[in-house]
Amino acid sequence: MDIFSLAFVAAVLASSAPVLYAALGGALCGRAGLFNIALEGQLLWGAFSAVTVSWWTGSAWAGVAAAVVTTTLFSGILALGAVTWRADPIIVAIGMNLLALGLTGFLLRELLDATGTFAPAGLDGLPDLSFLDGVPLLGPLLARQTVLVPLAVLLAVAASLWLYRTSAGLRLRGVGEHPEAATSLGVPVSRYQNATALLAGALCGLGGAQLSLGNVTAFTENMTAGRGWVAVAAVMLAANRPLVVLGACLLFGAAEAWGFRLQGLGLPQQLTDAAPYLVTLLVLVASRLRVRRRLGAADPVAAVSAAHPETVVHPEESR
Amino acid sequence: MTDLPPGDAGPAAGDPPPAAELRGITKRFGPVVAVDDVDLVLERGTVHAVVGENGAGKSTLMSVLYGLHRPDAGSVLRGGRELRLRSPLDAIAAGLGMVHQHFRLFGSLTVAENVVYRAEPGRFGIYDRRAAERRVAELSERFGLAVDPTARVDTLPLGVRQRVEILKALHRQAEVLILDEPTAVLTPGEVDGLFAVLRTMAAQGTTVALVTHKVREVLDATDRVTVLRDGAVTARLRTADTTAGEIVQAMIGRGLQPAVNPRDAVRTETVLEVDDLRLAAGPGAARVLGVSLRVHAGEVVGVAGVSGNGQREVVETVVGLRSPDSGAVRLHGRDLAGLGVRERRDLGIAYVPEDRPGVGTAASLSVAENLALGHHRTPPIGSRGRLSPRAMRAQAADLVRRLGVRTAGVSAPLRSLSGGNAQKVVLARELHHEAPLLVVEQPTQGVDVGAGEEIHRLLLEYRARGGAVLLVSYEISELRALADRVLVMLDGGVTADLDAADATEDVLGAAMVHAARPAVAP
Amino acid sequence: MTGLLDRLRLRAPAALVPLGAVLVALLIGAGIMIAAGVDPLRGYDAMIRGAVSVSNIDYAVASFTAILAMSLAFAIPARMGEYNLGGDGQLVLGGIAAAVVALYLPVPAVLLLPACLLAGALGGAALASVSAPLSTRAGVPVIITTLLLSAPAVAFTSYLVRFPLAEQGSPVPQTPRLPDAAHLPSFPGTSYTNAGLVVVLLVLVLAVYIDGRTPVGYEIRVAGANRGFAAYGGLSVPRLTLGTLAAAGAVAGLAGAIIVMSQPFRFIDDALTAPGYTFAGVAAALLAGGRPALLPLTSVLFTILTVGSAGMERDVDVPRQLGQVLQAVVILVLALRVLAFRWTARRARGAVGGKV
Repeated sequence: MDIFSLAFVAAVLASSAPVLYAALGGALCGRAGLFNIALEGQLLWGAFSAVTVSWWTGSAWAGVAAAVVTTTLFSGILALGAVTWRADPIIVAIGMNLLALGLTGFLLRELLDATGTFAPAGLDGLPDLSFLDGVPLLGPLLARQTVLVPLAVLLAVAASLWLYRTSAGLRLRGVGEHPEAATSLGVPVSRYQNATALLAGALCGLGGAQLSLGNVTAFTENMTAGRGWVAVAAVMLAANRPLVVLGACLLFGAAEAWGFRLQGLGLPQQLTDAAPYLVTLLVLVASRLRVRRRLGAADPVAAVSAAHPETVVHPEESR
Repeated sequence: MTDLPPGDAGPAAGDPPPAAELRGITKRFGPVVAVDDVDLVLERGTVHAVVGENGAGKSTLMSVLYGLHRPDAGSVLRGGRELRLRSPLDAIAAGLGMVHQHFRLFGSLTVAENVVYRAEPGRFGIYDRRAAERRVAELSERFGLAVDPTARVDTLPLGVRQRVEILKALHRQAEVLILDEPTAVLTPGEVDGLFAVLRTMAAQGTTVALVTHKVREVLDATDRVTVLRDGAVTARLRTADTTAGEIVQAMIGRGLQPAVNPRDAVRTETVLEVDDLRLAAGPGAARVLGVSLRVHAGEVVGVAGVSGNGQREVVETVVGLRSPDSGAVRLHGRDLAGLGVRERRDLGIAYVPEDRPGVGTAASLSVAENLALGHHRTPPIGSRGRLSPRAMRAQAADLVRRLGVRTAGVSAPLRSLSGGNAQKVVLARELHHEAPLLVVEQPTQGVDVGAGEEIHRLLLEYRARGGAVLLVSYEISELRALADRVLVMLDGGVTADLDAADATEDVLGAAMVHAARPAVAP
Repeated sequence: MTGLLDRLRLRAPAALVPLGAVLVALLIGAGIMIAAGVDPLRGYDAMIRGAVSVSNIDYAVASFTAILAMSLAFAIPARMGEYNLGGDGQLVLGGIAAAVVALYLPVPAVLLLPACLLAGALGGAALASVSAPLSTRAGVPVIITTLLLSAPAVAFTSYLVRFPLAEQGSPVPQTPRLPDAAHLPSFPGTSYTNAGLVVVLLVLVLAVYIDGRTPVGYEIRVAGANRGFAAYGGLSVPRLTLGTLAAAGAVAGLAGAIIVMSQPFRFIDDALTAPGYTFAGVAAALLAGGRPALLPLTSVLFTILTVGSAGMERDVDVPRQLGQVLQAVVILVLALRVLAFRWTARRARGAVGGKV
């Protein structure tokens, strides 16, 4: 099992890409103070719409475009519910995830006349980058990937640059940290939160498309299988920092790719299923413990509240 | 009602228009009228105090001026021209700036980033960090506000953070600067420094509106005074021509009837003993360097000092919310080391915390449920593993009546109560324990003068019944009125330990900034 | 008396939101059915019949048992503000524990039934309890850890039932049939519904009592309202977290044990998770607004949705996932209940003419 082979790294990249898209969306929302755990549902919806439109139009790219558009619309539920109407983002997200699960299953039957898996011959999947064959380094890494894979990494880097080097990024950082302060300076908090919610939708659309038209060429009921939750854990681990999110998602991808290798060696499939979650959980716990220990004899009152993720923070209606 | 004293008839025709003016402003929040047909004129180059007790409407009025609220009636004028303020953005564009009481700063961002936020230098959307830092240096030089542009704001003490707030306004070319209760977090020395800066600004043509309830500061630092009560103007005065008594009369409609400690003989039984308490500084925690104190039964021991000098940490250690690195806390001689909050409460400590919404109450629970915490395992509410909701409501009704808490009912959610009434709920609950030791922080913060006096009376009655009170307050006047002894904390240590008689404003003020102990007769 | 009226007056608007949520869901479901070319009235009729008709009601009540239990599994920690989304994992661990005890442990027949139920509760409780120290010591939110632990638990039981515990020679991944002594006795005329229902109802009564009439119940509600306040008041938030999670896991594990100890008396891979009891339970708990006494009512609704959709699929050819869609819509509309609370608070403030 050659974990240092480029082929393995390529497998890691492929596994990580969908999660990375979702996690980037989640991280940007987190920066705006919006706790977005609807990533699982949005990824699933993206995967489904990509396959459906690709099947109808015969073009995978149309599928990708449709995934981006429809998932953005879907994320509007979070924007409307949690930002405009100030409902609990956790409950809205639970509803969205369940809605995506039910709706995709329902439409799979109604629109595509399939149960379980939809993988017809002739379904147009995304093309790979085989023109890179023979190119050193990039060839073995990317030749068998779709363009959405390196795009995810590029977006992570771009997000980091944007966040720390532009005025808009500065304003976003302020919005999440202290929405009242941002409002008092005329920065429209709700608009930023809405924008990041919709952007997360678009990113999940890309991630879902990569899952159903890139990693495989099919749609299976519930095919995201918890990746959205791993993305949430990655966001938490990385404290909303895009480059660290990239690292965390690569870790997940490595766990999954390694799991497949082990399966090839005869270990049960269930271990592969479980491995990514356990690895993510362990790393998350370890990193949080490290932070706790650094805080020393921490303020117990604050510590008790520390396990509570930030929900949407709204500027107070001052009296 | 607008009482214009003779000789102050307002601007005559031909005078330049005032820097800012509010005409006929009315603002309602639901059925409550916060501001009722108020006129206010801010003359250019003056420092103008807007005074009133908590809830009088002065903060709301200034929020209207700054575009945070749209008035239901009336208009805002700047330089004689009416403004349409849809948000603070419009106010900023019109040359208004505001420094809020609770700072609106981004802790994880630097001083420069905070100052230029939403007005960043740079082209094509790129943020020019160096230009921002240069601008900050420039402004701080010009107005005498020393700061390090590259420092992260959450590493700065409160007095310095306030300077950042002022720089924010100056960066946006504010010509009218509104300060909302700016001295709450400053030492007396820093207060003088602030007023000097304000006077410099006024001399350079900036107009300053100072929102405050501290009559003393009004007299020291301002040119004009407008007094609000219950949302309406009760007096317009020239500072030079008025007195503290007149201002207070306009603020509360009567003279002050402060509760004062009779300072009768103190009992000798030691209830609380803190012995050489030490705690290293940490994130969000100030250090404590060898603090010792004693509180006897029937005594109020006050702890003075600007927020952030270790008082909170000492209190948390006494109460059990924090463990010290070394040192002992003893209750009736018994060492409390290793005992948690619950055990200490059972042994006889009650605690009124400073952070009322965060820690002292639960907004979504009912008044009755808030009053029951700590009493829920003892009869009549809790007995033999059972809880009686009816007994809970009955106790609550009794306490509400006794302390005069205004509420729609004991089952109303606590968030429906005003600040003063919520504070009374906390006090009622903690006093009801009749614990030997009562630890109180900021008992009258955010509470109007009337309720504040009642609260002081309650504390003194508690003392008269033999209770020991550890009182932490940032208000020197409160400590001087209530305490038998006053300690001053600075940077984690005790710099003064005085009998009430010796605890004058000057001595306390000095101890709050100097490490040296002033000579005091024993 | 005034206390009661006081409370009713202030809480009344909040009751409208759950009813509204159900109504909106039904309307949306009707819309979807029309789009699929089905008469909504026939569709809903088929759904209800799919649950309560004579041939289906037996299975429906058994499902109700599971859903009610899973609603408790979400509602108990939710009282404290923690979201337990790991019900699936707790469910299957409970089921497998009961199966193992029944099949392999030398327990006297008389004690086998209670032993299996106990094992189920312990299995679920053990898994859920892991999340407590992770939250209080490491600061990782319960919602994340319960979820991340759930999938590995399901994978683990899947592995067990396909390999070490598998019934030899069977094409279906299942354990051998449990011995008779471990079969929950059913009622006359029923085969799926059995004493498990009684067990779960007893647990519900206990939960309602603890929530409203004991100091612990009060402490849980205080911790749910404001943790800082709870710690300040001397409550042990870590202990409350552990207690509520363990209790939740125990109820979920108990549900798993009950399913395994009911017809067909085996642990079959996927059989516990496929029907979607966990999220039906979550939806029922949310609809009940965290009030344990309302759980049976809301669980009935979601049982009809879950079980009835299969019937609906048979009769009018509408995919059963519509049931899930309707559940989701109810949850989404319920999320807006916060608007009702804000309105209530503002009314109360107005009643006092409250000025700051």
